[in-house]
Amino acid sequence: MRTLDKKMLRTMWRHRSQIFAAIAVVTCGTACFICLASLHENLKLTRDTYYAQNRFADFEIRLERAPTSTLYELQEIPGVRQVRGRIVEDVKLDIEGVTDARMGRVISVPETGGGFLNGLVIRSGNFFDPGAQNEVILSEQFAQANELGVGEHIKATIDGKKHTLKIIGLGLSPEYVYTIRNVQELVPSPDRFGILWVPRDFAESALTLEAACNSIIGSVESEDQLDTILNAAEPLLDTYGIFAKTKKYDQLSNRILSDEIRNLGVVSRVIPTVFLGISALVILILLNRMVRNERTQIGLMKAYGYSSFAIAMHYFQFALVISLTGCILGFFVGQYLAGQMIEMYVKFFSFPILQSRIYPNILAQAMGISIAFSMIGAMSAAYRAARIHPAESMRPEAPVVGHRTLLERVQPVWQRLSFTWKMIVRNVTRHKFRSTINIFGVMVSTALLIIGFFSIDGIDYLMEFEYEKMQRQDVRVSFYLERGKDALYDAKRFDYVDHAEPMLQYPFTLTNDWRTKDVLLVGLPRHARLQRLMDTEERVVDIGENGLVLTQKLADMLSLRVGDTVKVKPMMGRVTDEKTVRVSKIIQQYFGASGYMNIEALSRVMNESFAMNSVLLKTEPGKEHRLNDELEDIPAVSSIEVKEDSIRNMSETIEMNMKVTSFVSVLFAGVIAFSIIYNITSVSLAERERELASLRVMGFSRDEVGRILYHENMLMGVVGLALGIPAGMIVCRLLVKAFDTEMIRMPYHLESRTFIISIVLTISFVLISNWAIRRKIHQLDLVETLKERE
Amino acid sequence: MTHEIQQENVFRINDLVKTYQMGEVSVSALRGISLDIHPGEFLVILGHSGSGKSTLLNIIGGLDTPTTGTVQYEDHNLGEFTETELTHYRRKHIGFIFQFYNLMPNLTAKENVEMATEISDDPMPALDALELVGLASRAGHFPSQLSGGEQQRVAIARAIAKRPRVLFCDEPTGALDIATGKIVLEVLQDVNKKMGTTLLVITHNAAIAEIADRVIHMRDGHVSEIEVNDEPKTLDDVVW
Ligand SMILES: Nc1ncnc2c1ncn2[C@@H]1O[C@H](COP(=O)(O)OP(=O)(O)O)[C@@H](O)[C@H]1O
Ligand SMILES: [Mg+2]
Repeated sequence: MRTLDKKMLRTMWRHRSQIFAAIAVVTCGTACFICLASLHENLKLTRDTYYAQNRFADFEIRLERAPTSTLYELQEIPGVRQVRGRIVEDVKLDIEGVTDARMGRVISVPETGGGFLNGLVIRSGNFFDPGAQNEVILSEQFAQANELGVGEHIKATIDGKKHTLKIIGLGLSPEYVYTIRNVQELVPSPDRFGILWVPRDFAESALTLEAACNSIIGSVESEDQLDTILNAAEPLLDTYGIFAKTKKYDQLSNRILSDEIRNLGVVSRVIPTVFLGISALVILILLNRMVRNERTQIGLMKAYGYSSFAIAMHYFQFALVISLTGCILGFFVGQYLAGQMIEMYVKFFSFPILQSRIYPNILAQAMGISIAFSMIGAMSAAYRAARIHPAESMRPEAPVVGHRTLLERVQPVWQRLSFTWKMIVRNVTRHKFRSTINIFGVMVSTALLIIGFFSIDGIDYLMEFEYEKMQRQDVRVSFYLERGKDALYDAKRFDYVDHAEPMLQYPFTLTNDWRTKDVLLVGLPRHARLQRLMDTEERVVDIGENGLVLTQKLADMLSLRVGDTVKVKPMMGRVTDEKTVRVSKIIQQYFGASGYMNIEALSRVMNESFAMNSVLLKTEPGKEHRLNDELEDIPAVSSIEVKEDSIRNMSETIEMNMKVTSFVSVLFAGVIAFSIIYNITSVSLAERERELASLRVMGFSRDEVGRILYHENMLMGVVGLALGIPAGMIVCRLLVKAFDTEMIRMPYHLESRTFIISIVLTISFVLISNWAIRRKIHQLDLVETLKERE
Repeated sequence: MTHEIQQENVFRINDLVKTYQMGEVSVSALRGISLDIHPGEFLVILGHSGSGKSTLLNIIGGLDTPTTGTVQYEDHNLGEFTETELTHYRRKHIGFIFQFYNLMPNLTAKENVEMATEISDDPMPALDALELVGLASRAGHFPSQLSGGEQQRVAIARAIAKRPRVLFCDEPTGALDIATGKIVLEVLQDVNKKMGTTLLVITHNAAIAEIADRVIHMRDGHVSEIEVNDEPKTLDDVVW
């Protein structure tokens, strides 16, 4: 082994705790990168192969009823590769021994099998035999959540008629990787909503849609032509009551999955960069100190004939050892985390196979990046070492020059400070670079905490806003068809019902000049108590007598302002004439593009005096489920949703998510704060050993001496904290902007709890660093320290 | 200054042995030293480099511990002191001066002295202490703005402001030229006379010995000779 290498190992051993702290940051950085980047790559590849192998459709057109013969016409449109007509219908489910509501979506598949669009992956059991009746393939997650297996039965109310279906298989489909009924649901509830694939013939007869379909899916040669193709399809289907055209990009499950993948891609770049940047700073501080420590030695080595290059390389090697060790540890930690993350993803996303894999290209990248950052950190030390002149190095270092600080101008304050504080203030201001990095480290740490907790607060708040502030019903009952006022009176007469309000949700096409958009409009009574219309400022919005209330997003899409008029046309049903409606209000909301109108005004748009398709019920306390049981068997009822159950289900999933998020952000914030504070304090301690030892000789106790460093760290910690809070808040605001999609906008909402926890944790990080430094102070050898004079 | 019969000794040093174990080799710094130190006396320890002077002083000053043997301070056995008691001992009873001044570079002369006064019960005002070493006019200067001799005098002011019973000085003039060294010694002698502080000064400058009450000669970890000056000279009479 070369002498320089021996020296390096010894020096590393002497600085082992500092080097360990530096390695910890590199480990976090590479682990994050490996975990997130592999996950990103993994999800992307898995999605793409899954979509390709099971022919995920490029578009879907939902309509009232189209004869299957039109499919041939669609097939003729240039660019169309394959089309399939199918039947899709939401149904109520009945499971033995389960009392609360279960919803299903019946989807027809050709019993001939073969490579059809949105194909199934059979996980257990079989695909249908030709001529199968009353058989179903159930979505795997739903079956598992409800402990249903192949061979068992499930009851479904389809078009008002109860059918008992035999489960012959469990399956998955690329269409439902993320299985939620609608955007508002936020997270999947595998126990409450499932997909039922049924043979085509059975669906046709059960829904009286013989030789017809209500959903057309298709694939195209190139996604660029999608708009042209859909435009060409429209006149062919116009008479069949189109009520939604969805491109692959907007398909709910795909959109959420793809957004998640995109976000992962961003995060996998940002977080590791922060860590590795910090690691560069830690290495910078550590190595600069080493060079200063070893000035004389370096001078001697040069005098013996070592070249400046060899000396510079020596310091780069330190950085290399740190980053390589960090990489190796990071690899294991990263792979482990990726495994954990995948386990979490599997709970939300259903893929046929999603397993942790090792991506050599990502490992190579991780290594490259972390080495690059550590080299940047080592640059200044290597440069300084290379420049040391042998003769000059023998002379003692210039003594520390005391200086006055600005604070001293304020004599009344300065006079009151104890000498400890005077030393601290002068020291913090003297080592400006070091203090800045220390403060910066704490700032990043606090900001990370705030950002981590923000994601929890946001979802928490969204739940509260949606399910407590806006929706105040206990049960929501939906009907298959639009009903008159009598349905409301009927509902009020049910046992346990205290109060009932009507609601109408219907798809409309909104047109302003050449801009057009298909949306669900919601009709509510004025001064509704159960479904309140609120904006993001939590103000209750008066829906008015006439006029349309639009969300900002929809207004922007249609380029509408208050007072403008817009043409409104129901997308299905008998009514085919357009009405002109004035935009009365534009409000900010969290969920998507939607519009609201007084239920009576909306009914008039549909040429009815009063129409409703769901009723919201307030029950006597605790009687929600009793009511549910009573309503279950009414044929006209398409679904019953007990709010309490929905909330419980969501809270469970979200809570798990929260635990992981908070654990990870606390861990990361802690490692950053600790490694920076510990390293800087170690350097500072090494420089001031004599000073501190002589204090001990004068009769200061270990803790009194330590306090000089502890207080100094606390002072900088408080400054870092004070900067980290606003910095975190700014990043949160930016995140809200960055993740603002057509479907959902995260609320900018931070609980006071978040601030308190962040402050307490940041201060704890400083205290932990101080506690680690305490050992070094206790080990200070008075005689040795005072004897040697460098 | 003559010595009456001492009622009590400040220190009773009994058969001190200090052996440093360095791997296979062991170095004996002290090989059995017994010595009494009287209150108010000016004691000089003389000896070649490596003879064990610093080791002896550090052990008496509670910075180091002997391998065997005891140091009795007044009624207490230093060896039985806990860490807290040792701190208390250094804080309230003794002061140290080193060859290198070890001032806080970040504090002014006055603040350096105040640092010591902040932790003692009955301190001298910082400016008085600086006055005593003739540096009242430089109170606001930082160490880097003072000469070596001045820095050493600040260190003395810092040590005496606590009004210690004993002052340990390990080669206080070692880094100074003769003229400056003389001023520093003058200050130390002054402190010994005016405040009655017991003074232990290590030096290898034999000339200094002439101003002491007693001179301990050390060689190879032994006390080779104790010399008593019945008539200590004043600094001005010493031939350098
Ligand atoms: N920490 C130590 N480890 C090993 N040997 C030491 C140590 N400190 C002092 N010594 C040895 O003890 C002897 C006495 O040292 P010291 O008391 O410093 O002498 P002086 O102050 O008289 O020059 C010397 O030989 C020195 O090398
Ligand atoms: Mg010595």
